[in-house]
Amino acid sequence: MKRQRYIEEKLRKSFILWGYEEVRSPTIEYLETLATDLGSELTQSMFKFQDFDGRILALRPEMTTPVARIIATRMFSTPEPIRLFYISNVFRYSRSYMERGREFWQAGVELIGSDRDQTDGEVISLLASSLRELGLSEPRLDLGHAGLFKEVQKSAHLDPENGQIFRTLIGRRDKAELEKFMSSNNFPSALEKSVLELSETRNLREAAWALNRRSGLKKAKRFAKTLEAIADILSDYHLEGEVYFDFSLIGRIEYYTGIIFEASVPGFGFSIGGGGRYDDLIWKLIGIRIPAVGFAIEIEKCLQALQSQGSEFSSIPDGFVRVLVSSISNERAVETANLLRDSGAVATIDVSYRNGKKLMEYAKLARMNYLVIVESVRKRPLIIYDVQSGMRKRLTARSFLREIFRSRIR
Amino acid sequence: MKRKIRIAVPNKGRLKQPTMDILRRSGVEILERERVYDCETSDSRFRVFFMRAFDIPIYVQYGAADVGFTGHDIVVERDADVLELLDLGFGQCNLVVAVPKNSQIRTIEDIANVSRVATEYPNASRKFFASKGKQVEILTVRGATELAPALGLAEIMVDVSTTGETLAKNNLRQVAAILKSSCRFICNKIAYRTFEREVRELIDRLKGGEGTSL
Repeated sequence: MKRQRYIEEKLRKSFILWGYEEVRSPTIEYLETLATDLGSELTQSMFKFQDFDGRILALRPEMTTPVARIIATRMFSTPEPIRLFYISNVFRYSRSYMERGREFWQAGVELIGSDRDQTDGEVISLLASSLRELGLSEPRLDLGHAGLFKEVQKSAHLDPENGQIFRTLIGRRDKAELEKFMSSNNFPSALEKSVLELSETRNLREAAWALNRRSGLKKAKRFAKTLEAIADILSDYHLEGEVYFDFSLIGRIEYYTGIIFEASVPGFGFSIGGGGRYDDLIWKLIGIRIPAVGFAIEIEKCLQALQSQGSEFSSIPDGFVRVLVSSISNERAVETANLLRDSGAVATIDVSYRNGKKLMEYAKLARMNYLVIVESVRKRPLIIYDVQSGMRKRLTARSFLREIFRSRIR
Repeated sequence: MKRKIRIAVPNKGRLKQPTMDILRRSGVEILERERVYDCETSDSRFRVFFMRAFDIPIYVQYGAADVGFTGHDIVVERDADVLELLDLGFGQCNLVVAVPKNSQIRTIEDIANVSRVATEYPNASRKFFASKGKQVEILTVRGATELAPALGLAEIMVDVSTTGETLAKNNLRQVAAILKSSCRFICNKIAYRTFEREVRELIDRLKGGEGTSL
């Protein structure tokens, strides 16, 4: 729990500092709302049940739609763009026979009400810098474009079946097979060249150049502009080296319309978060076109990734001084504990009535900084043990407080 | 933090030898066996781990191995979210539905809903029968699946078949093919990003193409 909180607090702080405001959404909503434009895979994975009147409810499987619904129904008059974040649990039922969890925690942001390329850049930069904040080493983002991919499929006049094959081939990065497929499906040669270049490059600016040079594609300049703007903003934040272009990244959630991205770290086999632009979702929910972009970070995955990178969690300081208070007189123990608590130290009253060595052992295991023995006679100084060093001192409560807070102020 | 790339190779069965052969031809010769499962190779960037072909998709999906060689049938059965980067062409077989020769069942449509199916591929079988609208009972067995219909454990079995010889020997007849399989070179999705250059070079060599120089 402490580790999870550590991650949550780091992310919360980072989101707040970028001007995002926290929101909460109901755990349970109507299925039809949650399922808007989600795609069959996630829709099937929802826990569903009936309300008293027979309407179908579900546990939220992700947070973007619930947040979009909040905007649509409750934040009508808030000036746009609106920057929101959440730290929430989401629920998914795994149809695969592999044992997996059913409840996951996600921390994410949504930037709603602007379709400017700068907002894409902001959200990606926030994700990259948040991952850095967490202490993950070599985090990277891979970025594709759902709209660009759809445009390529459209320009090549692929039917749904061939569209699927094309998708698989791009995903496999099998250049020879891809070339064969494109020539047998009569791709215009400019388009064919663009596709090959786009699937080869991992660099945003190179991808933009490829789109600018020879299009073979409607709106190519528009896509190029987006990629360039993102690269510019990333370099302003010194994050350019952490973001790569990946034409094959298309994603499984259907509501994405623009950029789409995924976060990972080397040495950990799963993606730890991702997101994208969804300009049509709110329109589908309430009939008003409001563009938006956002991401979600998987908290458990981050935890596992940090562990696999060898992060030492036990030494995370939470900023508290922890004191175990022991006395034969409960009244005296309470008095001392309250004094400590009022000053902002964590005070726990010993209830084991262990003494000597055993009490010290317990204090060590319970990760206390100090063990304080309070004698039943009033006005006698406290007996204070520094749990780490074992040093023993006699101090009045007042000078003890002065000592612990002086040593904590950096 | 570039570490060695972990290659998962089947430790027995029909995919093992051809996999080791193609790796050798691709310049990744398996050197001494330090322990039973863990070997250095002639290319210092790679390390080979031997494990059951059936487990390879799991190791690769979770990133415990970066890349691996295993059958397409197994990737499907394990429902593994991995990149199937290359079809190596060898280890061809079909995952088939078979019944005793004297069975009344001629096609999938003849199968009654209450039928029992014995298989080592419960996941792929369940999906296949569900897609055909059949609610069969799936019994998972470990090997010698041909025995199940003979002893009356199940009316139907699902297993891989290369030539159909084993089926015939055991008085079985193929009713349908669930999928065509062959050996695949698979890769973890994140490892592909981390080791893109090395993985692509290895793919080129596995194809027998360019990239033979070290």
